[in-house]
Parts: sequence; C-alpha cells; structure tokens
Amino acid sequence: MRQALHIFKKDVRHLWFEIALAITVAAAFAFTGARRALWLVDPATNRTAAWTLVMILLPLAWWTLIARVLHDEALPGDNQFWITRPYSWKNLLGAKALFILTFINIPMLLADAVIVRAYGLPLAAEMPGLLWSQVLIAIVFILPIAALSALTTGFVQLIFAILTPCVIALGVAIVAPEVVLGGFLGGSDWVKTYYAFLVMSVAASAILVWQYSMRRTAVGRSLAGAAGILAVLGMMLIPWPAAFRIQSWLSKQRVDQSLVHVAFDSGNRWLTRVVIAGGDRVRLELPLDITGLPPGMIARPEGFSIHLQAPDGTMWQADQLLLRNSGNMGQKFSLEATVDGAFYRKVKDEPLRVRGSLYMTLFGNRQTVRVPFEDRSVPVPRVGVCSATGGANRQSYFLICSSAFRFPPVLVSYSFIQSAKEAVQDVWSSTEPRRPISYSPFPAELGIIPVSQDFTFSTVSVPLSEARVDTVEPLAHVRRNFEIDNLRLADFEVHPAAVSP
Amino acid sequence: MSDILRTIDLSKRFRKTVVLDHLNMIVPEHSLYGLVGPNGAGKTTTIKILMNARQPTEGMAEVFGRDSRRLSPEDFTQIGYVSENQQMPDWMTIEYFMNYLKPFYPDWDVVRAQELLRLFELPPDRKIRNLSHGMRMKAALASSLAYRPRLIVLDEPFTGLDALVRDELIEGVLECANGATILISSHDLSEVESFASHIGYLDRGRLQFSEEMTSLVDRFREIEITLANTSQSPISWPAAWLNTEQSAAVVRFVDTQFDQERTIAEVQRLFGNTHHISVNAMPLRAIFLTLAKAGRKAA
Repeated sequence: MRQALHIFKKDVRHLWFEIALAITVAAAFAFTGARRALWLVDPATNRTAAWTLVMILLPLAWWTLIARVLHDEALPGDNQFWITRPYSWKNLLGAKALFILTFINIPMLLADAVIVRAYGLPLAAEMPGLLWSQVLIAIVFILPIAALSALTTGFVQLIFAILTPCVIALGVAIVAPEVVLGGFLGGSDWVKTYYAFLVMSVAASAILVWQYSMRRTAVGRSLAGAAGILAVLGMMLIPWPAAFRIQSWLSKQRVDQSLVHVAFDSGNRWLTRVVIAGGDRVRLELPLDITGLPPGMIARPEGFSIHLQAPDGTMWQADQLLLRNSGNMGQKFSLEATVDGAFYRKVKDEPLRVRGSLYMTLFGNRQTVRVPFEDRSVPVPRVGVCSATGGANRQSYFLICSSAFRFPPVLVSYSFIQSAKEAVQDVWSSTEPRRPISYSPFPAELGIIPVSQDFTFSTVSVPLSEARVDTVEPLAHVRRNFEIDNLRLADFEVHPAAVSP
Repeated sequence: MSDILRTIDLSKRFRKTVVLDHLNMIVPEHSLYGLVGPNGAGKTTTIKILMNARQPTEGMAEVFGRDSRRLSPEDFTQIGYVSENQQMPDWMTIEYFMNYLKPFYPDWDVVRAQELLRLFELPPDRKIRNLSHGMRMKAALASSLAYRPRLIVLDEPFTGLDALVRDELIEGVLECANGATILISSHDLSEVESFASHIGYLDRGRLQFSEEMTSLVDRFREIEITLANTSQSPISWPAAWLNTEQSAAVVRFVDTQFDQERTIAEVQRLFGNTHHISVNAMPLRAIFLTLAKAGRKAA
C-alpha cells in the first residue's frame, strides 16, 4: 500500500496539468449542468454550446488522463526503467486505480450529485443511481481505455487501437447495420447492453490484471480482440425471447397471471386485414383480445411469434418478431406480421391454422400525483420531481418532470386539469407512453448526463388548476399462446389505394 | 563459488529467427563476467530474459537460483540493471529520480547516493531529458549502485560513450562493486578485457566458450613451425588447431588447448622433424578474432 501511494504521489506530481484540466472540465460540467436545471425559469441558463463543449471535453479529458497515467509505466516493451526495479504489480495497478478513482470517478460523482441536487432531486433517494452510474461510467468509459492503454506504449498506438475497431464497426454498420447493432429488443434491450457491459468489464479487468502481472502484450491483445468479437456476436445473436425470458425471471411476479388469456378477437373479425404491400410482402393484421387481466391492470404487448399452417402442411413462421406497431395498449390490439408473398399466394384460399405466442408486460399499481401550477418541485414517486408553471397571462401551461440517472421504468402519462365548479375536466392528456421504456432493474442507465427531463405544455385558453402525473409500473412479463383455426386469408385481402399522379 | 546467474538450454526465437540457441551459461558469484560477441549475437536478449523483461521460447534462466520469470520485487532490490537503451522518466530531475527510487529499496544508502552523484558529477536539479547520453548512463548507474546490489547487470553500457566517460563509469562500477557479481555485455572486447574475471563469447545465439580470463589466455597460443623438410599437409588437422596455414616450409596455427608437451608431441607426429617451433602468447583480441573467423568458416 505504501508503494502504491508512493507511485500515486509521483503520478500526481507528473500529471498535475492533465489533472487540473480534467477537474476543470468536471467542474464546468457540474456548473453548466446545474445551471441547466433553471432553464425553464431563466432560459439564459441553458447554454447549449457550452454544455455540448463540456460533454465532448469530459470523456476526452478522462481518456487523456487514463492514457497518460498508465503510459507513465508503459507495460509493452522491455526498455522501461521500472520493469527491472522492485515494483509490485499489485501496488502499481493499485496506484493507477487510485489515481483514476481520485481524479475521474470522485469528481464525476460530486458533479453528478451537484447537478441532481440542482434539479431538486433528493440525493439520498438517488444514491443507488448515483453509485451505479459511476460503475457504468467505469465499465464503458474507463476500463476499456485503461485496458487499451495497458496494451499500448503511447498515444499514437492508443488512438490506432481505438480507431481500428471503430472503423471496422462503421464499415460493417454501413454495409449491414443489423450486424453491428443487432435487433432492438424494446424494453428488454438492456439485457443486450448489459451483456456487452459484462463482456467489456470482465475482458478489460482480465487484460489489466494479466498485463500488470505478466506483461505479455501479444496475449493481452488477442484477448482484447476476442472480447470485442464476443461482445459484437452476443449483441447480434441474443434472441429476443431469451431477453424476454430473463426479463420474466426478474419480474416482480406479484400478480396472479393464471387468468390472463389471449385469443383471436372474433367479435371484431372484420378488423382482420391482409394488405398486399410492395416487395412481394404481405402484411397480415389480426385483432387479438387479452382477457382475464386483474382489475386496474393493463397489458402492453411486447412481441410475438406466429406460425401459419396450411392443410397440406405448408408452413410459414415469423420467429419472434418484435411487435413494432401494435394498434393500442390495453385489452384489444392488432397484431401485424409480414408474410412472404409466395407463401401467401399459395395458401391464401386454404383454411389456415394460426398458432402464436404473445409476449406482454402487465402494468399496474397506478399512482396519480397532483402538481399545482406553483413553480415548485413536487416529488413524484417512480419518476423523480415534477414542476408545473402557468405561463404569461395564464394562457400557456408547462409541466416538466426530471428523473435522475435513468428514464423512469414506469409508464407515465400527463394531464392538465380544469376545475370548473364541481366537475374536473381533463383538458389534455397523454395516455400513450411518451418515451421508450426500459425494464432494466438497475438504478442507472449509461450516460454522462445525470438527469433526464420530460416536458409537456398546453396552450388552452381556459384557466387550469393543476397538472397530474399518472404512473403505472411493470409487474410481470408474461407469454401467452393463442390459436386461430380456419382462417382464409383471401377473405380479408385489401389493396392499398393507388396514388393519383 | 555458487552460481548467481545461470541459463539452461535457453532458446529464444522471433518467428523463424533463432536469437538464442540452447544457451548454457553460468556466472559465478563475485565474478566480473564479460559477455562479449558481435552485434546481433544475442547478448541483450540473454540479459533481458535474465531480467524477466522478455520470455524465453525454450529452456530457462535462473537468477539467485530462481527462475527469472518468477523474479519478485524483493529479488530486484538486489539487482542493479543499466542498459544503453533504457527508457528513463525524462520529466524527473536527477535528485527527484533518486528520491523516488529510495523507498523501493530497503538498503538504499542516502550518503552513498550523494557520493555517487558527486563521483559522476551529476547535477541534481537537471531533468533527465536534458542530460547527454553519457550523463544518462551515469544517472542510471548511480541509481543502480546506491543500494549496494548483490548483482549488477550492465547491458552495453559503454556504447556511444567517449573514452573519458567510459573510464569514469568503469571506475565507478569497480569502486562500488564491493564483492557484487557483475555481468557486463559488450560487442567490444577491449571495453571489458582490462577488468573482467570471466569471459563468455556469444556468437549467433550460441556460447562459444565461457571461462576464467586466466585459463583462457593460458590455453590459446599462436604457433609457427619451420619444417626441416617440405612436407604434405596432414590429412586432418587436430580439432583444437584453428586458422591453420601452411606454405612450403612454414606451418602456422592457433592452438586452443595449448599444453607445451602435448602440442610439441602432436607437431612431431604430424610433421616429423622441425627446424624451429615458435610459441607466442595471444592477446585477448587476437583470441576472439581467431574464434570469430573459425566460427564463420564452420558456418
């Protein structure tokens, strides 16, 4: 430990300028970030250019500091003075970790705390997010650069090491974007992201320990390459149902799901459509009905798989396609699947048997919080804080909600209320989810900005009494099977209207 | 004398290039071992493996009886290593460098460190980046002698130095050695012959010989024979005779295993009566040239 402190002191002395730069940028981040909290009251505080500049400089300052401190005792090569001195690798690695913790993590933690407080969010309640956010920053912004710095001797090599995979990824992304990004897994997309985080953190830690203990750079570089491939392959290949299964396993399971069923909505059979789309594709729309939901609970379809089988055994399968365009959220909705044109032409007059699975998230525990137009922050459980303000002449009304470290893992809807005599009139409301929801169980999402905001407004000419924020939380993630017999697709065929020139 | 450094069938290959080829070398304790050989012979690679800066492909190297790959920080507190191309922390002043290293060594002698700075005329407040090559070598040496290491390893320490600085360095090393074992590598024999107690000659990754200087000088002789009759060359020259030349009545060779009685008996067996046999001791440089030439011829 004494040796680690000794090396740490040497690094501080050597890299004082880089340290000063990084701390200055972190301070600027805290200052501009905190000032942005006031932008609704004082638009002059929202200095976007300064904020953008700080957001660019912050990771650059970190990476410079990490590279400089690790390259001070570069690991590859055999000419460095220190490798024949009585350095203990554990102390050396400890000194570097202490340096990064002291001059990157702690300033960032403090800056985040300052910003979160400036938005009126309670720091104690946000502590898990604050700490987890630092873990994510370490996994994504620090560990990989530290590992690459441990495999290189200087900036030129390091930049080359960073740019090479970026250029390869960019090239592949241009040619085949799905290869790099994989499919979007909706609210369960965090599974894919955390898989990449896991690979990155394990590989980067292993490389650091390996390099500091053994200094065998060729093996370390191979490990880095293998980890990169493993991360990309995993991102590409994690199937949506697997992510959903993990999500189901983690769900709170506080509801009795046994009565929940999904079936073809035969009462609205007329809503079935087979749309002949271009590109030899046919879009099949099937009305489905979800029944048996406990009172106060709503279901949100997340995805499905579907099999169409003709009497002669011919089969077409849409495997686990994500339900991108469900008709609505609730008990009835329209499932949309794309069918191959050749298959359709072959079987359209046959009575088909349709078998499918629907993946849903069940939401419940509705909470409503009233937010008066009083320019003060109101704590909104599951969200953070919200404040509502009436604009000039009370003709425009604003509602802004701030959440720390992640978008709330709940469905949020807003409404503006006019209190007229005894009746309460819902002047305007947003019932659809306003932004992508992540079901991640972790208290923070990856990002440098610690506070996310949602903003809505109304310009009705009637005086409003308050805004309301409704939230429902995800309680369970379930899969239900359904079957439809004797479905003759030709009966529902529609052709899009020709567009007049 | 126990062995402080040892290599056992040590081999190192860089892809298809063989740099060390089953090297077996022993450096006895308290010796001043000169490892010489032409450029590219494998001297630096041998030393880097001994210092655990590189990994062997085959075989092993031992330092203080321990596998060099397992050298611990405690072992390095007893090793002073200086190399011509060592990367130093250029931003440090000499004084800061010495002070920085001090806590790493339990036996660091502050007084001795000051003396070394004075001996080598090193300006304490000057940054290492502003030092000449000679001064950098002196700084490296001073920082490696201040803790009285048990083993001093110097890899081509005199390359690029003028004679005065070289002599100062040698003096410094010898003055401070205090019974330490010293391994010094050089491509120039004259740099080490004046003070080495043992010598090893490395060529193309193989150790041609390794022995005490006195026995080496004793066993090499340049021999010239004036024959009584013009004679045929012998069908096969003895293996210990190198650089054999023969004119009509004169035969010259270098005997690498000289022994007065045995050599003369061998001459008489091969050539019969002789007019005159001249036996001359050889300077170390001539011995090495003979070996180098013989080695190339054999290759």
